[in-house]
Amino acid sequence: MKFQVNRDVFSEAVSFAVKLLPQRTTLPILSGVLIEATDEGLTLSSFDYEVSARTQILAEVEEPGRVLVSGKLLADIASRLPNAPVRFSTEDNKITVACGTGHFTLSSMPVEEYPSLPQISDKVGTLKADLFAAAISQVAVAASRDDVTPVITGVQLEVSENNISLVATDRYRVAVRDIEWDAGASGVEAATALVPAKTLVEVGKTFGNSGEISVAITSSDERELIAFQADKKTVTSLLIKGNFPPVRRLFPETVDNFAVMNTGELIEAVRRVSLVLEREAALRFTFTTEGVTLEAIGSEQAQASETIDAFLTGDDTVVSLKPQFLIDGLSSVHSEFVRISFTKTENPNKPGPVLITSQSSKDQPGSDNYKYLLQPNLLLR
Amino acid sequence: MNLAQDDSPRTFSEYRRTVRLVIAKCSVDYAGRLSAHLPLATRLLLLKADGSVLVHSDALSYKPLNWMSPPCVLSTLEPEAEQSDAGVTEIWKVAHTKSADMLIVSIHEILHDSSHELGVDPGLQKDGVEAHLQKLLAEHIDILGEGYRLVRREYMTAIGPVDILATDEKGASVAVELKRRGDIDGVEQLTRYLELMNRDPLLAPVTGIFAAQEIKPQARTLAKDRGIRCVLLDYDEMRGLDDPNMRLF
Repeated sequence: MKFQVNRDVFSEAVSFAVKLLPQRTTLPILSGVLIEATDEGLTLSSFDYEVSARTQILAEVEEPGRVLVSGKLLADIASRLPNAPVRFSTEDNKITVACGTGHFTLSSMPVEEYPSLPQISDKVGTLKADLFAAAISQVAVAASRDDVTPVITGVQLEVSENNISLVATDRYRVAVRDIEWDAGASGVEAATALVPAKTLVEVGKTFGNSGEISVAITSSDERELIAFQADKKTVTSLLIKGNFPPVRRLFPETVDNFAVMNTGELIEAVRRVSLVLEREAALRFTFTTEGVTLEAIGSEQAQASETIDAFLTGDDTVVSLKPQFLIDGLSSVHSEFVRISFTKTENPNKPGPVLITSQSSKDQPGSDNYKYLLQPNLLLR
Repeated sequence: MNLAQDDSPRTFSEYRRTVRLVIAKCSVDYAGRLSAHLPLATRLLLLKADGSVLVHSDALSYKPLNWMSPPCVLSTLEPEAEQSDAGVTEIWKVAHTKSADMLIVSIHEILHDSSHELGVDPGLQKDGVEAHLQKLLAEHIDILGEGYRLVRREYMTAIGPVDILATDEKGASVAVELKRRGDIDGVEQLTRYLELMNRDPLLAPVTGIFAAQEIKPQARTLAKDRGIRCVLLDYDEMRGLDDPNMRLF
């Protein structure tokens, strides 16, 4: 095999292919990146039976071939190469990478043992990449990182005719965002797919500027997988098995008690006041027609409080919220103002959840339909 | 030989079967590999049955200011005239028997002196948590997944008991190994059980679950490679110390 390729194109492709590879693998060949050179150019792929990544780039191929080489090492090398064309050639099981004045010799791994990448259905629907990337960043923050319950470490994609909703929860909060979806030729009218949050976050970062993303759900051998494609790049991931909890019923149907604040001001105030808080402690928020007062009871050594503007509708309300959970929600509304709505509860030992939604001005609700539901702590007097 | 009548000198560790607590105004000098001096102050002197001598102040948590590890010999000396004039009433010389290290405690006044027999210590019972986890998991077997049912705890195999034998939602056998901290040894242990259990036509196929409060990355990788599922257990939640009112559901 022999080819020459642009340094930046090559480096970007290798880094994409290896990004989703696991940190530890018990099968060394799975830590490799498969490079296939044909008359049409280069294909770089990685696969660990759960997640796969594949990309095609242009190259001047003198001699076609396939080779498997350590992905991490190649990515490190590619990112450090000088700005000159990269010449790649193989002889027996040695690979030579030459670029400008740099020269590397690497061992290849047995390519015939490498598993074949999953087949993807060509029935795809499409999503707007920027919307999808934004929705992923808004929702994935609420996904659980604790694998006691694997189903909630994923982001649930709920597909309907024209819409796709992203839902994630860690039992303390639930985040939901709907975006438009063109079912196209996918033939999908209603489906759900539970995608590992970690993988979906990478998909969002990778495809954020790609224009349109094609999405396909394929099932084979009892396992379902989802594929995302754009810009000659493909990422596939096995879906998490199991039933996502029915979190939508936790959202209130109507709320008539809410406050609107400037998002940036509120985030800054929360960050300041929570400096004196012990870990895991909650901040107390008192909403009145005068504004909202944040109080950190803190320890004996330090307390803090701050009052900022808030436009209250309905009754005066006091809630106790964990600062990080609140900031996660506030940072995800992506709007100048934010609305915090208070729900009622029958249970005296469990405060009603608060709902965080976007607000484009102090009177005008936001245009997107992002919702972040958060469970307050019990108020301690 | 009647030990009770044996008056020959004994080393400190042979002599003491008790722990002795002394609170005294004293100064302490350590001579040997490193020299140290503690000026006159009131301190707790702890003489343990294993022969060790520890000098504690009213701070530093579990750390003594100075100490001598066994084997060592304690001898009590009369102070010399010069020392008596300085107020010393007795001197303890604690000499390490394998090195030249020496701890000298110059006692000015003993405020408290008592000895207690503690008997044989049962040791730190970390296993208590493991046993409790096993009981709790058996009671809440659905933590492993919907439709799971307990067959029995401590299922006996030829090489030892498996912590929990259960069946999954399809009725297939599942062997569960429980640990507080899940490391690679636990995975190996479960692998051995699984290999043996899968030879039993009445049980096979048996899959494995490695359940622990904390699972090391290497253990997780090895378990995954062997097709063993890892489950993290929340001990506080299982014993009801966690407050579901803090959560949405």
